[in-house]
Amino acid sequence: MSYAYLFKYIIIGDTGVGKSCLLLQFTDKRFQPVHDLTIGVEFGARMITIDGKQIKLQIWDTAGQESFRSITRSYYRGAAGALLVYDITRRDTFNHLTTWLEDARQHSNSNMVIMLIGNKSDLEARREVKKEEGEAFAREHGLIFMETSAKTAANVEEAFINTAKEIYQKIQDGVFDINNEANGIKIGPQHSPANQSLNVGGSGGNQGGNCC
Amino acid sequence: MAFLQWRRFNFFDKEAVKNPATDQVFDLLKDVNVSACTSGRGQLVVGDFEGNLYFINRQMELTAFRAYEIRVTHLTQLKQHNLLISIGEDEQGINPLIKVWNLDKMERGSPTCTRLTRAIPGNKPTPVSAFAVHDNLNFMAVGFENGIVLLFKGDVTRERHSKSRNVFEGTKRVTGLVFKTMGKDVILYVVTENSLHTVNITAKDAHMKLDDTGANPGCIVMTDASQDNQLVIGRPDAVYFYQPDGRGPCLAFEGIKLQLHWFRGYLIVVGKESKAMPRAPVLGPHGMEMNTVTVYDIQNKFIAYSAPYPEVIDVMCESGSIFIFTGDRKLYQLQEKDTQSKLEMLFKKNNYSLAISLAKSQQLDQDGLIDIFTQYGDHLYGKGDHDGAIDQYIKTIGKLEASYVIRKFLDAQRIHNLTKYLQALHKSQIATEEHTTLLLNCYTKLKDVSKLDEFIMTKNREVDFDVETAINVCRQSGYCKHALALAEKHEKHEHYLKIQLEDIKDYQKALAYIGKLEFEPAESNLKQYGKILMSQVPNETTELLKRLCTDYRPNDKPLIDQVSLDGGIGKIQKAQAEEFIHIFVNNAGKLTEFLEHMIEVQPASSNLVYNTLLELYLHDMVHEKVISARVERERKTLELLKNPDANYDIDQALILCQMNNFKAGILYLYEKAHLYQQILRYHMEHNEYVHVIESCKKFGQQDPQLWVQALSYFACKEENCKSQLMETLTHIDKKNLLPPLMVIQILAHNSTATLSVVKDYIVRRLQMENDQIAEDERLIKQYKEDTEKKRIKIEDLKTSAKVFQASKCNICSHALELPSVHFLCEPHSFHQHCFESYSENDMECPVCAPENRKIMDIIRAQEQSRDFHEFFHNQLERAPDGFSVVADYFGRGVFNKVTLITDQTGKGVSGTSTYR
Ligand SMILES: Nc1nc2c(ncn2[C@@H]2O[C@H](COP(=O)(O)OP(=O)(O)OP(=O)(O)O)[C@@H](O)[C@H]2O)c(=O)[nH]1
Ligand SMILES: [Mg+2]
Ligand SMILES: [Zn+2]
Ligand SMILES: [Zn+2]
Repeated sequence: MSYAYLFKYIIIGDTGVGKSCLLLQFTDKRFQPVHDLTIGVEFGARMITIDGKQIKLQIWDTAGQESFRSITRSYYRGAAGALLVYDITRRDTFNHLTTWLEDARQHSNSNMVIMLIGNKSDLEARREVKKEEGEAFAREHGLIFMETSAKTAANVEEAFINTAKEIYQKIQDGVFDINNEANGIKIGPQHSPANQSLNVGGSGGNQGGNCC
Repeated sequence: MAFLQWRRFNFFDKEAVKNPATDQVFDLLKDVNVSACTSGRGQLVVGDFEGNLYFINRQMELTAFRAYEIRVTHLTQLKQHNLLISIGEDEQGINPLIKVWNLDKMERGSPTCTRLTRAIPGNKPTPVSAFAVHDNLNFMAVGFENGIVLLFKGDVTRERHSKSRNVFEGTKRVTGLVFKTMGKDVILYVVTENSLHTVNITAKDAHMKLDDTGANPGCIVMTDASQDNQLVIGRPDAVYFYQPDGRGPCLAFEGIKLQLHWFRGYLIVVGKESKAMPRAPVLGPHGMEMNTVTVYDIQNKFIAYSAPYPEVIDVMCESGSIFIFTGDRKLYQLQEKDTQSKLEMLFKKNNYSLAISLAKSQQLDQDGLIDIFTQYGDHLYGKGDHDGAIDQYIKTIGKLEASYVIRKFLDAQRIHNLTKYLQALHKSQIATEEHTTLLLNCYTKLKDVSKLDEFIMTKNREVDFDVETAINVCRQSGYCKHALALAEKHEKHEHYLKIQLEDIKDYQKALAYIGKLEFEPAESNLKQYGKILMSQVPNETTELLKRLCTDYRPNDKPLIDQVSLDGGIGKIQKAQAEEFIHIFVNNAGKLTEFLEHMIEVQPASSNLVYNTLLELYLHDMVHEKVISARVERERKTLELLKNPDANYDIDQALILCQMNNFKAGILYLYEKAHLYQQILRYHMEHNEYVHVIESCKKFGQQDPQLWVQALSYFACKEENCKSQLMETLTHIDKKNLLPPLMVIQILAHNSTATLSVVKDYIVRRLQMENDQIAEDERLIKQYKEDTEKKRIKIEDLKTSAKVFQASKCNICSHALELPSVHFLCEPHSFHQHCFESYSENDMECPVCAPENRKIMDIIRAQEQSRDFHEFFHNQLERAPDGFSVVADYFGRGVFNKVTLITDQTGKGVSGTSTYR
C-alpha cells in the first residue's frame, strides 16, 4: 500500500498502563485482557487518511518496565509523535509522568508531538486520577490530552489520528523538515522517486523501520 | 529484581540420541575434536581439527572421510542442493581453501570435490571468520579476520567463470554474513564485531550502515518467512531484529548469548547464565560449564523450552527435530510435542488466549478452535468474568449449540451478555425466531432504544430475523413505533394497520398507508378496518373509498406506470361499492355522500346501492322537521325513484316507501309497476275522491275495471258523493263498461244514492237500447231484401241467356271490336288486346278483380281466424256487448262446417271472340 507520508510514533509510560492494548486496539481492533508484559520493543503499523492523504503510522510500543529503560530509550530517536500513557486507576503511573516526559524530551526530537493519554477510562469506579488533573498536566507541559479505553476502544482512534493531524499541521506550517528522517517523517516511495529502492511494502507485522 | 521473561512451557521432549548398533547412548564422535557443524537434507555434518568430515544419517549411522590435510574450519550444507561447502587448510600457515563437495557423487567412498578455490582477500592471506553461500548457487561470500568481505560470483560448484571482488572493507573481524533476496536485489548483511551493514551486491555494492553495534560469531541468524526473513542479532541486553532498511523490534532477553538458531518460527538461544549471577558458573560433567538452551516462540511470545546443557558445541535443526551437540560429544534430540498435548498443557494453566493464538499459528482446524473457545468461555464464566466469557462463546457461534450458551446467561444480571450473544447470532444469520424474540425482549427489558433502533430501523441492513416475530415482540412490549417501522419496511400491511389503529391510534396515518397500497391489499384492508376508520376519520375514509371504488391507483404511484409506458393498457381497478356499505354503520351522512358519488360516476351501480340510497333518503326525509327542507328531500327522493338508471328493487322500494309513508313514492312505484288497482285502492283507503276519479281517468284506458271499482266504492260511501258517482257513471256509460242491470245492482247498495242520480243514465240507456233495436231491425230488413235480390239474380243467370250489348271496351273506352272478351259480371266487355294486357289471369274480369279479391281475402281471413279461440274468448270477455262479437264471428262463418265455395260466378264465357 502506498502512502504520502510515514509518521513514526512511540508509545511510552509505566508498565501495565495499557500501551500494548492501545496499539492492538488501533491496529487489530482487538482487546487483550491478560497482561502480556512487553519485553523490549514491539511494532505495529496502520494506514490512516488525513486531508485526503494516505498516511502510514509506524508505531513503536515500548516496555514500561524500569529495567528495559535503556533499551527502549534507543527507540525514542527519530519519532515524530509520542503517546505518553498513564492509567487513571493508578495514581503512581500519573506521578511518573514527569520522569517519562523528561526522558522523552531528552532523547528525542524537540518538535515531537506528544499526546498525553489517561487510559482505562472504562474503569470509572476505580478512578484515582481525575480527568481535570490530566488536563492540567497537559496544559502545563504543552501536550494534547485525551482519556481512552483500550478495552471499549473509546477515543483510541482519535488519540492516534489527532496526533497525526497535529504532526501533519506542523509539516504544513514548515516546522518539520520532512527531508530529514531523524524527524520521524518519511515521504512515501512514489512521492520521492529517489527513495524507493529499499522499501518493501506491507503493513503491520514486525517489519523494520527507519535507520536510527 | 524480578527476572522479566515470557511465560514458560515445556513443549519439547528431550531425548538422548542412541547408537542404533549398540542401543547405547550415541558416542561415535566421543574423541572427535569438533571444529564446525552443519546439517541438511536429513544428515548432520561435523568437521574436526584433523581435517575429517563426519556424516550422520537419519538412522544415526556414521560415515567419515578426510577432506583437508590439516583442518576444517567452516562448513555449510546447502538446503536445496546436496552440496557441502567447506573451508579448511591443506598446508601449514594461513592458507584457507574453499572446497565444494557433491554429496550425490561418491568416489571411492567419499564425495566428489567439484571446486577448490583459495580464499585470499587482496594478496595478504588472512583467516576466514565468516562464510555464506546463496541458495541460488551464484553467490558465495567469505569474511575475514581483517574486516574484508570477498564475494565470489558465478556458479559456486565450479572454479571456472567464477569472479571474486571485495564488497566490504571494515576494520574489525567479520563475525557474520547473511544473504537476503529482495525482489531483484540481493542484499548481503555484513556483521562485524562492532557494527552492522548491508551491501547491495546487485546494485554496485551500495553500502549502508544499520547499527553501531555488531555481534559475536554464532549470534547471527535469519528468521524464516513466518517472521518476514529478518536478521536476528543476539547481544547481551536483547535480541534485535533487522530489515535491510533498519532496526526493527527487539526482545529484551538478557544474558550472554553464544549461539542463535532458527527452527520453524522458534528462536533458539544458547546462552550463558547472566553475568549478574552471584555464584560461580554451574559446572556439568567433566567440569564443563553449563549453557542454557532456550526456545522462544516469537509469534506467540512464550518460551517453548528451556534447559541447561553442558558446553553446547552446536545446535542443528534437521528432520523436524532440534539436535543439540554438547561438549561431552553427546547428541540430544528435542522433539516438538503435538498440538493437542500443547493445548492441553495450556488449558491446565487456564491459559486460553495463548492456546487460541497457538492453535491459530499452528493452523488448527475450525473444530479444534471452537473447542478452545468453548473451554475458554466456560473457564471465564466459572471465574465470573461473564463479559469475557460471552466474547469467547460468540466465537463458537455456528458450531456450539446456542442454547448451551443462552441457558447460562438467562439470569437477569447477565442480560447484557445475553444481548451481545444474541446480536452476534443474528449477525451470523443463524438466529431462530426464539432468538429474535429473546433479543428483542432483552432490548426492551434494558430499555435500550438505540439498539432497538439499530436492529430494526437501520436501512438496508440485511434481515437476519423473523420479521413477524419481531413485530409481535415489539408490539407486546410497547415499542409500537418499532413494530410499526418493521411492518412498514417489510410490507406487513395487516400488522402495520393493526398497530397504527389499535396501539397508536393514528387513524389518519393508517388511512394514508392504505391509500398507498396496491389495489388488492388496499381493498382487503379497507374491508377489514373500514369500520373503525369510518368511525374515526369519516371524511378521509369516505374519500379513499370513493377512490377505491372508482379508478384506484396507489397514492405514491406515478400517473403513468410502467405497464402503460410499455404500451399495455393499465386496467382500471375498482372495488364494489356495495361491499363497503356496512362500514358506514352509524354515519348515514357519509354513506349518502358515498353512494351519491357512486351512482354519479357509475350509474349502473348495483341494486343494493340504490336500495340503500333510497332508504337513506327516506330516512332523512322522515326525520326532517322543517317543511321546506322536507319538501326538498321528497323531491330528491322522488327524483331518485324516477331516475331511469336507478336500478333499485321495486318491491323493496315499495316496502320502504310504505314504511316511511312516502305517498308520492308509493304512488309512483305503483304506477311504475302498473299496479293501477293498488293506486286506486290507495286513494280509496285515504278517501281521496278526487284522486280516485283522477286515477280512473288516468289509468282507465289501461284497466277499465277501475271505473267499475270506483263505482262500487262511491256507491258504498254513505256520505254524499253524488257528483263522483255521476262522473263514474258517465264513464261507465261512455265506455259501456257495465250492463245497466249491474249498475243498478251496485247502486242498490248505497243508501244515499237516489233515483235522481241514475235517472238520466237509465233513461238514456233505455233510449239507446231502443234506438239500437230499431236500427237492427232496419238492417235485418235490408239484408233480407238484398239476399232476395241476389237469389233472383243467380236464378236469372242460371236460367236466362245474357246478351252482351256493350259497345265500348271497359278498359280503353273505345268502340268494341273483334276480337273481344266478355264477362257475365255487369256485364263487362273488353278488346282482347286490352284484356290481355290488363288481366292477371284469363278467368277474371279485370274490372271486378280488385273487388273480388277483397271479398276473397275477407273470407279467407275469417276462415283462418276461426282457429283463434283464445282471441275470440278474450274479445268476448272484454267486449261490452258479447253478443255482437258472437254475431260478428257467426257472420264470418266461424261456426260453419262448410268451407265457402270458391265463387265460380264470374267465370268468363267467350262469345264470338277467340278464346284461349
Ligand atoms: N479495563 C481496562 N483494562 C485495560 C485497558 N488497557 C489495558 N488494560 C489491561 O491492563 C493490563 C496491561 O495492559 P498492557 O497493554 O499489556 O500494558 P502495557 O502498558 O503494554 O505494559 P508493559 O508492556 O509492561 O509496559 C492488561 O491486563 C490489560 O488487559 C483499558 O483500557 N481498560
Ligand atoms: Mg506492553
Ligand atoms: Zn279496349
Ligand atoms: Zn266485370
